[in-house]
Amino acid sequence: MKAFQYATAHSFDSARQLVADNNGAYIAGGNDLLGLLKEYLASPDLLVNIKALPGLNKIDRGSNTWTFGALVTVAEIENDPHVAKTFPGLQQAAAEVGSQQIRNVASVGGNLAQHSRCWYFRHRDTHCLKKGGDLCYARHGENRYHSLFTGNTCISPVVSNLATAFAALDAKVVVLRDGKETPMTIAELYQGAWENPQAHNSLKPGDMIVRVEVPTIRNVSAYIQASDKHAFDWALVSCAAAATIVDGELSQPRVALGCISPVPYQVEAANEFLQGKRLDDETVAKAADMILKDAQPHEHNGYKVPMAHALIRRTLLKLKG
Amino acid sequence: MPSWPANPKYISHETRRIDAPAKVTGSARYASDANPGGWLYGMILRSKWPAAKINSISFEKARQIPGIKAVVLAPAIEERQKNSSDLTLRYYGEEIAGVAGSTKQACLDALKAIEIDVTELPFVVLEDDAKADDAPKVWADQPNTSPAKPKESGDVDKAFSDCAAVIEGFYTTSVQIHHPMETHGNTVSWTPDGITCWASTQGITSVHDGLASALKVDQSKVRVITEYMGGGFGAKFGPGPHGIIAAKLSREANAPVRLMLTRFDQALAAGNRPSTFQKIKMGAKEDGTLHAFQLENYGTSGIGGTSGGGGGAGSDVPAPYIYKVPNTRVNHTAITTNAGPATAFRAPRNPPASFAMESAMDDLAVKMNIDPVEFRLKNDPSEIRQREYKIGAEKFGWKAKYKKPGSSPGVVKTGIGCAGSTWGGGGNRRTRGEAQVNPDGTIEVRLGVQDLGTGTRTVIAVIAAEVLGLTPEQITVRIGDTNLPFGPGSGGSTTCASISPTVLDTCTKALQQLQTQTGVPDARGENWFKACKKLGVTPLVVQGQWQEGLSSSGAGGVQFAEVDVDTETGLVTVKKIVAVHDCGLMIDTLTLESQINGGIIMGMGYALYEERVMDDLSGVVLNPNFETYKLSTISDVPDIEVVLLNMPERGVIGIGEPATIPTAAAIANAIANALGVRVSSIPITPAKVLTALGKVPAPAKA
Repeated sequence: MKAFQYATAHSFDSARQLVADNNGAYIAGGNDLLGLLKEYLASPDLLVNIKALPGLNKIDRGSNTWTFGALVTVAEIENDPHVAKTFPGLQQAAAEVGSQQIRNVASVGGNLAQHSRCWYFRHRDTHCLKKGGDLCYARHGENRYHSLFTGNTCISPVVSNLATAFAALDAKVVVLRDGKETPMTIAELYQGAWENPQAHNSLKPGDMIVRVEVPTIRNVSAYIQASDKHAFDWALVSCAAAATIVDGELSQPRVALGCISPVPYQVEAANEFLQGKRLDDETVAKAADMILKDAQPHEHNGYKVPMAHALIRRTLLKLKG
Repeated sequence: MPSWPANPKYISHETRRIDAPAKVTGSARYASDANPGGWLYGMILRSKWPAAKINSISFEKARQIPGIKAVVLAPAIEERQKNSSDLTLRYYGEEIAGVAGSTKQACLDALKAIEIDVTELPFVVLEDDAKADDAPKVWADQPNTSPAKPKESGDVDKAFSDCAAVIEGFYTTSVQIHHPMETHGNTVSWTPDGITCWASTQGITSVHDGLASALKVDQSKVRVITEYMGGGFGAKFGPGPHGIIAAKLSREANAPVRLMLTRFDQALAAGNRPSTFQKIKMGAKEDGTLHAFQLENYGTSGIGGTSGGGGGAGSDVPAPYIYKVPNTRVNHTAITTNAGPATAFRAPRNPPASFAMESAMDDLAVKMNIDPVEFRLKNDPSEIRQREYKIGAEKFGWKAKYKKPGSSPGVVKTGIGCAGSTWGGGGNRRTRGEAQVNPDGTIEVRLGVQDLGTGTRTVIAVIAAEVLGLTPEQITVRIGDTNLPFGPGSGGSTTCASISPTVLDTCTKALQQLQTQTGVPDARGENWFKACKKLGVTPLVVQGQWQEGLSSSGAGGVQFAEVDVDTETGLVTVKKIVAVHDCGLMIDTLTLESQINGGIIMGMGYALYEERVMDDLSGVVLNPNFETYKLSTISDVPDIEVVLLNMPERGVIGIGEPATIPTAAAIANAIANALGVRVSSIPITPAKVLTALGKVPAPAKA
């Protein structure tokens, strides 16, 4: 890594200013940024510590909406009994992030804003499309961990567990942009990566995620991921689902998948199909078919299709409790 | 001549590691904990090209970085420059130069500031690509493939026609990277008085001799110290290029240099287990006895040779491994690729041999409708393994658990499998020891051996305590220093069989001399301190050596595995391993069981997770970290039951290697039993499981 200076910001304005004026980067938990620094994938002159910014480290349990401050740690979500009761899918997604040590410092904002884990992107000596090169190496090379769906030439997927869970819960991510709070859906937060091979999300330089707002309208949620290993491993495919179930009937159902697309993958037609349905084997299989019907597997990631199909079915059935 | 004591108090019992407190509290000093005054960080510049010719290289700007005290060429590059041969780099990660500086940041900046101009050359990193006629040649003056040397015994073609059943399979194993928890590295101080090297090594003598010869320093002026080290597994013999670079940096900087490889470095150039691609045809007669065997195998050791590690790093596996088949035809082809060199890796050649052969055994057993354990009892020539299979099958509940392949009901299917192993081992006859008995009753036992983390110190203390009637905690063990009496390198599962007879001899002699000198007829136990006091002011120093008849070689083992396989996601969970092993006379059953546990966990990684991924587009190692080079973690580890056969009459035999050999084969067989189809390529990933089940098309390129 390149040498850098370090400063702690005490106001949102000064944080933005320090980053803008000094080729800076925000740092909270630092899990993602440190990896980028070490491989020379990011070389800021100044790291701006945002952990002293006010009001970002709380979970507020409102009656219609809960808000998760951007500095709330993944471990706090994992271990909060209220979260486990109200948003079990979110709690399960948090519990599957990295290792205990990583979860202890990983922040909500950082988990959502993390960059691609594509092994070509993360490699210090490959100049791939995402880094401004000419070629998506993964498309032609080793793509076992890559996307089944994309809107551009890069096939690296989004891997944030929380993004998958928040998408199913129809959360809003509030981004501070040029001093103004800008709410985005999860789809909007990642749309940039769907369109632009060099983007990891829709955030612009200087943007800061400040909180996530989660409506409590859905009374059930679940998350399941499949990984090579039983712990401390990225998902190969992850799936989150949430809905309101009254007398066995679904309303407001949402399903989202991680690690198969640059965005948490959601198919509105499948959500609509599930509306008013009861969860049985046939229904969940039909939903899985609808979600995966346009999948475009590459040479080494075809396994993600049946894997995702299984996870969609299992996650939906898990909503029954 | 001494003999092993009857009715021992410590030997063959459980003794906790005498150095556990030092390790737990962090006071144990490793190579990177050496703290000689004024030490500098060292780092290595590596090739970022899989093949390239260096046109020019300049250190000028690197030397100007504040804090940089030395910049040197890597020994192989310097050698090529001296001989005016082509400065060709042949793999991604090959050492080019080293830098030493007062901070890590200075070193990082210096690596960036070394100016190097190259002409990139065509390269080939995959085995099948390297075999092609038009493939780029890794070495200009030789082909990428070794010449065919088929070995045949009996009449194989006729024998196959006499078989009642014949199977064919293509069993492949990945390149496994050496990733001990402590990376390779040293702290080296080279002054006009000589070289002191704090090394992470399996062989302090090998580092001592290697540094002396490479740097043309008198052997008497080199001292190597390894108080503690964090695993070697075959890859840590000799100083390696990194050790020589560290020494040269130290000389140029006139300061000690600490140069530990990063995890990234480790993945590229610190050695690996070669891949194998084994096409097996095998047949048995009506009565179930193996009759004909044919193997056509290829694999890569990268650029070939070994890099600082032990020997035996080829892909030419022993075949038909532990079985006797009257008619065999075997051919191995070594493939050279633009990739980091192979080196000895825990039981070189054996795990891939076991995986392929034991897979073929199960495939044939299934075809002949014979129970896999019965099939082995019929064909395994080892009397000891026969016993182990019977004991293990009983413990494991084999008969009750065994179902026809694929017949386990439901989405998550259960399966079981088994496999056997063999290993030589034996003791190093040149091992020497020394004991110093002090008048205050303390005793130091000294051997120039090193503890890889396996419990060598504790083994020495256990034997000394047994002989002297003391407790292991009362023994001070001094090891890991070339100033001590000669000890062997720790490879080939030979350490225990080398040091145990030596310690027994040394301590027995020390006791005898103490008794003679002090007139105490039995100085053991409660008489010990009284006798020592009679020494007055002069400690007693006694030498001993390895003695015949106290150790032997030849250990076997069998393992049983039970797995769950999710047929929708392809995920495998290993539920249970039963491991039955023999190693002659057991010294400390606790460290022994730990060795076996470790071997099984490593074997499980080989079966399910570990694989170096080379990118044929860029030529780089794509997974040079623990994020994507996947190792077993504690949550993956199954219930492990170790059953030990104690055979004191055979003397001491090492266990490090045989314990890791059959695990992957047993797991692979259990998966095949669960699914009813075989995944014949390790690591067995969800993708391969789903492909074998026909749910996904097979990739064109494996």
